[in-house]
Amino acid sequence: MMKSPVYGLLLLFALMLPPVANLLESIMITHMHMQMPLLIISGLFMAKFFQHRFPEFFSKWNENGVPGLLLFSIIMVYWSLPRTMDEALTLTSVEIFKFISLPFLAGVPLRDSWPKLSSFWKHALIIFFTILFLALGWLYIWSPVQLCNNYLIIEQITLGWGFISTAFAMVVYLIYSYFVDLSKYE
Amino acid sequence: MFQKNRTALSSLLVLMFGIILFYNGTDGFQAFTAETARVNQLMAEKPQFPDITLEDNSGRTYSFSEFDGKYVFITFLYTSCGTVCPELEVNMSEVYKRIPKEYIGHDIQFLSISFDPERDDPQTLDTYRKAFGSDGETWRMARIPEQQELDSLLERFGVIVIPDEYGNFAHNSAFYLVNPKGQLIEVMDYTLIEKAADRVTEILHSGREE
Repeated sequence: MMKSPVYGLLLLFALMLPPVANLLESIMITHMHMQMPLLIISGLFMAKFFQHRFPEFFSKWNENGVPGLLLFSIIMVYWSLPRTMDEALTLTSVEIFKFISLPFLAGVPLRDSWPKLSSFWKHALIIFFTILFLALGWLYIWSPVQLCNNYLIIEQITLGWGFISTAFAMVVYLIYSYFVDLSKYE
Repeated sequence: MFQKNRTALSSLLVLMFGIILFYNGTDGFQAFTAETARVNQLMAEKPQFPDITLEDNSGRTYSFSEFDGKYVFITFLYTSCGTVCPELEVNMSEVYKRIPKEYIGHDIQFLSISFDPERDDPQTLDTYRKAFGSDGETWRMARIPEQQELDSLLERFGVIVIPDEYGNFAHNSAFYLVNPKGQLIEVMDYTLIEKAADRVTEILHSGREE
């Protein structure tokens, strides 16, 4: 009956397999733009399990969705720091924290918060991440120094363009949602 | 009303968690990249230069204790490098020129260490040093023939070297200063020549007064 949490857990386990983790982490852009989002997605899948298990907790402490949104944003920004990405490769404790924080402290709260949020907060979140991604893209592409010790500078530039492309996609979405009344299609 | 306060409280808790998380993750908002963290940690730890064997541009071999009693100004490079290393060595020569002559050779030794011992034999190093105006004595270029010794030094000094698919290496660069007892005391930005030269001169000056 409740299948999605199982899939989420399977996805998390699959991502934790050393060959899979090593492969995704070997390239900077797949580390940040594939592994990390997939970890969050595994959390999105698993959220239902926690919501059924602790309905009180979520309805009481995340009533309007804002605390969950904040937690999600904090974890996202934390993993955007060049340093955390580097240390995930060199320090086991940081790597473990990545596999816990992204699914359970970003994915789960986002799933719980999203339906509760007013469109103001939803748009605020997307605008915030558009600005953040543009800034990070700018930082990674035009930074005169190598930000990560474990990756080549060319990979850093690739990642920068990845951020810019994602930001561009979000801008397209914002323009689209401004002109089209989405509620008509729901 | 109470409901609203509760989400405000949980938001506050989340924010506090965030602040603690960032504080821990960046050493108290000091180091946002692993490189800054590395330099800060090195300066705090002052690791000892391991007693390894060097082979220099004239083919002489000796252990690092050859430089006991002198400050040693060190850079790490490989001669096939087309990007950062030439810049690093040019900047090193600029620092060399700015240090008062009376200290050179007596109080301070300049040393460029190659982390590519396979290709950087003494002849290659000798050709390379001429290109940067190193005299081969007060500023020597050397390789560490034993891979194990090389790795232990790189690890201790936090030099990360990643070979890429074209036979090049990606690596972090800095000026390193080791004191007369063989301890690493300064890691300096290699792009700030004046600053590094001033700092080294200041250290040498106070070293003489002691």
